[in-house]
Amino acid sequence: MLKARQPLGIVFFPAYDWAISPTHPERQERLLYTQDQLREEGVFDIGGITELKPDLATAEDVLRAHFCFPDVASVTTTSHLISAGGAIRAARTVLEKEAKRAFALVRPPGHHAMKVVHGARGFCNINIEAVMIEWLRDHYGPLRVAIVDTDCHHGDGTQDVYWNDPDTLFISLHQDGRTLYPGTGFPLELGGPKALGATVNIPLPPGTSDEGFLFAMREVVMPLIEDFKPDLIINSAGQDNHFSDPITDMAFSAQGYAQLTELLGADIAVLEGGYAIQGALPYVNLGLVLSMAGLDYSHVREPGFDAAAVRQSAQVTEYIEDVCRDILKEVRHPRGPGKGDVVAGWFTRRKTLYYDTDAITEYQTEAVRLCDHCRGVVKYETESTRNPLCLGVEAPVGACPACVEEAYRIYEAGQIKGEYRHLQLIDRVGKITSTYTG
Amino acid sequence: MLCGIDVGGTHTDAVLIGPHGVVACAKLPTNHDDLLASIREALASIVAVAGPTAISRLTLSTTLTTNAIIEGTADPVGVLVSGGPGIDPEAYRMGGHYHVLDGAIDHRGRQTGAIDLAAARPVIDAWAAAGVRAFAAVTKFSTRCPDQELALKALLADRSDCVSLGHEFSGRLGFGRRIATACLNSAVWRVYNRFCDAVEQSVAELGMTAALNVLKADGGTMPLSVSRTLPVQSILSGPAASVMGIIAVCDIAEDSIILDIGGTTTDIAVFAAGAPLIENEGIAIAGRSTLVRALRTRSIGVGGDSAISVSRQAVEVGPRRLGPPMALGGPVPTLVDALNIQNVIAVGDPRASYQGILAVAAANGFEPEEVAEAAILNAVNQIRSEVAAFVREINDRPVYTIFELLEGRQVRPTRVYVMGGPALALSALLQDAFSEEVVVPESFAVANAIGAALARPTFSVELFADTASGRLTIPSLGITRQVADNYSPAAAEGEAATCLRDYLASIGAEVEDAPIETVELSSFPMVEGQCLVGHNIRVACQVRPGVSAAYKQAVSKSC
Repeated sequence: MLKARQPLGIVFFPAYDWAISPTHPERQERLLYTQDQLREEGVFDIGGITELKPDLATAEDVLRAHFCFPDVASVTTTSHLISAGGAIRAARTVLEKEAKRAFALVRPPGHHAMKVVHGARGFCNINIEAVMIEWLRDHYGPLRVAIVDTDCHHGDGTQDVYWNDPDTLFISLHQDGRTLYPGTGFPLELGGPKALGATVNIPLPPGTSDEGFLFAMREVVMPLIEDFKPDLIINSAGQDNHFSDPITDMAFSAQGYAQLTELLGADIAVLEGGYAIQGALPYVNLGLVLSMAGLDYSHVREPGFDAAAVRQSAQVTEYIEDVCRDILKEVRHPRGPGKGDVVAGWFTRRKTLYYDTDAITEYQTEAVRLCDHCRGVVKYETESTRNPLCLGVEAPVGACPACVEEAYRIYEAGQIKGEYRHLQLIDRVGKITSTYTG
Repeated sequence: MLCGIDVGGTHTDAVLIGPHGVVACAKLPTNHDDLLASIREALASIVAVAGPTAISRLTLSTTLTTNAIIEGTADPVGVLVSGGPGIDPEAYRMGGHYHVLDGAIDHRGRQTGAIDLAAARPVIDAWAAAGVRAFAAVTKFSTRCPDQELALKALLADRSDCVSLGHEFSGRLGFGRRIATACLNSAVWRVYNRFCDAVEQSVAELGMTAALNVLKADGGTMPLSVSRTLPVQSILSGPAASVMGIIAVCDIAEDSIILDIGGTTTDIAVFAAGAPLIENEGIAIAGRSTLVRALRTRSIGVGGDSAISVSRQAVEVGPRRLGPPMALGGPVPTLVDALNIQNVIAVGDPRASYQGILAVAAANGFEPEEVAEAAILNAVNQIRSEVAAFVREINDRPVYTIFELLEGRQVRPTRVYVMGGPALALSALLQDAFSEEVVVPESFAVANAIGAALARPTFSVELFADTASGRLTIPSLGITRQVADNYSPAAAEGEAATCLRDYLASIGAEVEDAPIETVELSSFPMVEGQCLVGHNIRVACQVRPGVSAAYKQAVSKSC
């Protein structure tokens, strides 16, 4: 009988009774064939592989990671809470040593959900990785975490959540933003002033195949992880780089995904996108599962796969080599934070965000206090086509007493001033979240 | 009248039940070298009381196939498999005659690679030359499309005594399980059919005209004639006999636990609203998981004959059995010896129990009574914690819909039914350990044979319809047909139930009170591009295991 070399917990939650709409890519059918394939292969009969039931994330869990306006209930469905709870269950499994690794095969995904949430963008409402990571930090203390986002779309939401966090290394490999939603994720996006170089973007040209991805992994991702020395490695495992994916233009294969997974050696993987639900997902997910469990995946191959037919061109290879070289240089010697102004000791940037799934436009000002003792209190002033002006203020993990005090002062002053409709405070030091509606 | 025979590891029990209760029963030591002799002897003693023609139905529960598999005395089997993409089929190798062919079917039942029949021919020739006469042919996703397995069967037609095809056993997915199931079925085919021949002959010689059935691991029965082609379905039916027995003799309506405390093990079963839970994935034997449905039970190495081990830190019972209790001349003290010196029971020679426990106690600086008490407590605690873990596991099973996660039924047992040798002796101690009410049924000496006698036929079917490709399959019935694009989930549910009922009628099973229930019904819209192209419909129907209502009243006692 097969036995996993690395005990693996799998949280499989296909949400068979939930869809964005009947024909939307994010629909009931999405994980059906993956489940068929995993069952037929007998994955859950393999010694050391355990199937786990998801937890149900609470509003409190969400509020640790997000500012939700007007409130958590308005921007989530039960499905999102189960999906985030599935990620939490996976993480819990690893931290409690029930398994060496875990894979949350859940839907809906989360990596386009930003720090501030007014609704759904890119099929995502809440960032299930962020909810998971902050749950972990709340229960197990400070952890240095590396997130490697291998979804074809830039993980702009996760980048935004961790923009000012030097203890979270966020690396996104994705199809170049000039050719695909959400249109961001360029090499000079390197993180906020206190976390420069903890955000890394590797845009890859359309048509990148196995060798391009594996090159970027070996030459950029792995060395940066080695420098960072994380306590945990998390893979935002989107599977839409597959050559058969209907909404992207890349040429990755199931074998490539399995090799990438082996190379990365993530402790926890969380499913993100991937919409070739018949031709790719069953095989890519199987490859990932076998790879994470330390089992032979050499027979995993898409029906009719022809490596030569999807291989990247010589120009693409050359381009990727150049880009990777430049990125490594920029990340290791960043020239300074990107767009933004320093106003009275706060680094401030303005953002306009479009929520494509819910058709909401948001106007936001993010400001982080340039504190000498900690990473600094962060505040968000935000209004959208759904909500009038709202305020979010966070005293982050490890905030100094002055920054904690500042966070409460801003929150209370906001209530007194009366110019905000909804206010939310996250105090990660005192483990308190608070909301107020004016 | 209904007759049940349970050939157990120690005893062969037989019972005859009439409309007003148990008419005759017999308990004989099992002759392991000749199971048939045990059956014949048990039958003869029943016939001597009731006469040969009074028995209308005879159901057997036997360890024959289980023993053949575990002891490795079954036949060699030539196994042809095709895997396509995925886990290397070599991982599921069974025996020395195993060959992997090119060929692939995907999850929707589309053939994505032709089966390489040309490569199969020389392999079959070589096996035939080596004297192999039993075969199995298994392809991945054959439950979605059995064509490649059927092609292999045709190739084997004139070379074989028996060919088992993977899709014939269950519509459930599980390539490795399917290989093991088909292979084991062929492996025990010959020994089982000879056994059936002999049983039929013995029955005829006794002048009996009863319908013959065998008990399955899911607690249901199947006609002996049907079991000849599906002998693997008769494996591991021992615990099923006990569980069906307790259903027969007790009126169980609520969530409950069944404990069968035997000599070597304690078997645990869980009932939800009076019905036993089924292990739908299938049971494992000799380290191989199969697709053979079984009652969901769990076994721990704590029984009357479990050895007591003593150290300065702890007194533990089991999991080993090193022989009978010292009271009966065994080599080491056991749980029965501990109960003996605490005066809970009186078995054999209590002085031998005392001497044995005294020796292990003194060596660690304890009094014998201390050790006996600690041993009994340890056994009870092991049972209690295993029950708790089992219930927790059942309630923690994965779910796939929001509805199930939020509304999924939780099992909350309120009663613990205890049977088996040490049942009565341990009941007071168990009552101290469990918050649930502990019940020891009045008569359980031959409850397992009663369970066999009264068990109803069971069967299950899985229907899979894909309206986009216009195909419907019910693998275990060998049904494949075209389906219209407006085929509905309701129609699928009706068709599955009808096919199940028709099948039961066709094999002559008594379907009087066999309730058919739907255990799975789902329909997924299938989208290609932005268009709805059809529905993917899945239905699973089963006859829930249970006992014949007409006779249940005759044996049921309030308990």
